[in-house]
Amino acid sequence: MREIAVAIDHLEKSFPPARSGWRALLQPFEKPTSRALADVSFEVREGEAVGLLGANGAGKSTLLRIIATLLLPTRGAARVAGFNTVYESREVRQRLGYHAGTDSGFYARLTGRQNLNFFGRLNQIPAADTNKRIAELAEQFRIQEALDRQVRTLSTGTVQRLSLVRALLHGPPVLLLDEPTRSLDAIGALEFRRFLKSEILQRGDTCLLFASHALAEIEVLADRVVIMDAGKVLACGTAAELKRQTSAVNLEEVFLRLTGFRSPAESVEREAGAE
Amino acid sequence: MKRIVREVWLFFWRDLLVAHSYRTVFLLEIVEALFGTATFYYVARLVDSPGVQQALPQGGSYFAFSLVGFVFLDYLNAALNSFDQSLIEARDSGTLEQILVTQTSLPVFLGGSAIYPFVSTTVRIAVYLAWGVMLFGFPLGHANWLAVFGVLAASLLAFSGLGIISASYVLLFKRGNPAKWLFLGITSLTSGTLFPISVLPRGLQFLARLNPVSYSLEAMRAALLGGSSLKMLWRPLVVLLGFAVVLLPLSMAAFGWSLRRTKATGTLSHR
Repeated sequence: MREIAVAIDHLEKSFPPARSGWRALLQPFEKPTSRALADVSFEVREGEAVGLLGANGAGKSTLLRIIATLLLPTRGAARVAGFNTVYESREVRQRLGYHAGTDSGFYARLTGRQNLNFFGRLNQIPAADTNKRIAELAEQFRIQEALDRQVRTLSTGTVQRLSLVRALLHGPPVLLLDEPTRSLDAIGALEFRRFLKSEILQRGDTCLLFASHALAEIEVLADRVVIMDAGKVLACGTAAELKRQTSAVNLEEVFLRLTGFRSPAESVEREAGAE
Repeated sequence: MKRIVREVWLFFWRDLLVAHSYRTVFLLEIVEALFGTATFYYVARLVDSPGVQQALPQGGSYFAFSLVGFVFLDYLNAALNSFDQSLIEARDSGTLEQILVTQTSLPVFLGGSAIYPFVSTTVRIAVYLAWGVMLFGFPLGHANWLAVFGVLAASLLAFSGLGIISASYVLLFKRGNPAKWLFLGITSLTSGTLFPISVLPRGLQFLARLNPVSYSLEAMRAALLGGSSLKMLWRPLVVLLGFAVVLLPLSMAAFGWSLRRTKATGTLSHR
């Protein structure tokens, strides 16, 4: 049995209500009342790929940000390789690669290479290894040309690839990806999934926890799926297990049945039946 | 230690590369310094008199007195603005979160982000003084450079605490710190930038004694214009280091608390 890489233990997160005007000055001191995560528990083992599936606002990004040490949980704990994300955040960050799913987070007037060098060196990669690693990953992501151009001149998709390269640069054992293919075109997304599958997951030493709306992506990459809704885990298992449990034929149907949403086809059928 | 130095250097290198991408700004600053120095020279010609020169702590011309006051106040500006400015830039560009998920520590991020503004302020001050020496007879012949750098180091440590407290405010409340502008206003009146503190009413003189900037300017003028040694300047140096000893740990604690609060409220990347 492989070791536990990420452990989520009865995790809860609430935010203070959003305020505007002068009341915004009080917001940092207000009680957290708006619940984003409720009693979330699951584990991800070494070498395993787990996909978080849920609608907008289900709590997927909040969960990833807590593991990435960017948010503090209200209750419960998240651990990476046994290290608590609140009290041992430095040890956690040593083991993490985090891609926030946005095309920001770079110095616009620096080149792709200068940016990657900066973040790679902050992650304690020696200078010579950083350059070698940048060259390898740039080739795999087909962004060699972008390396010597200022980031402000690059397309959204290219910056997204650059961000993925940054997350992989120091070879972290735990990869957190928040909608990794959101800004990639169809071919870029396909190549990225292939790369993750063949270069990262097949090695068996990296665990992947990713959030996605793309069901195809989850079916291709994830060994197990965590279905979330309104901050709660509704189900967790392999795609086959979830289909069996819900008597569904595909992951889309599993998701719709568990969350109570209706597919357009179902809605039409129900309306027709009522008439 | 080696690791900290390497990381601080990385932040400095990053800022240098960003500044290098705006090459013309540096040239324009050199020209601006020429006009600034000339303005002080001609104002000094208007107000200089034996009476004024007698009222100045080191004697000499009003031009030298006011130029030192004006340019060294820049350090306070750099200290107060560089921490919160680099924080705002990092937050708005999304790089703050990316830095916080690397293995670097909070003090290194803060300290490293302030190095370039301090170095560029030093270069700017050197340009001002160079114009003063070359064109307007600024007297540098008596300067005690060891004392100048000693006062500078003590001042930067004292002022940095104020800057980090200001950055904590920005992190928490997402907007400029109003207390900073009040402090800058009080400082321009009471620190002895353009006139000696001795001409102020007693109440304002007391206020000046509570402000590290007045000690910094007093010591800087004594070292640069009067040639005072570090030994002779022990009193303002002890006061400046005292401010640093109190303010630096306090400011780091305030920043750490603000960051934890921001992570709890989920507003780290909010503007």
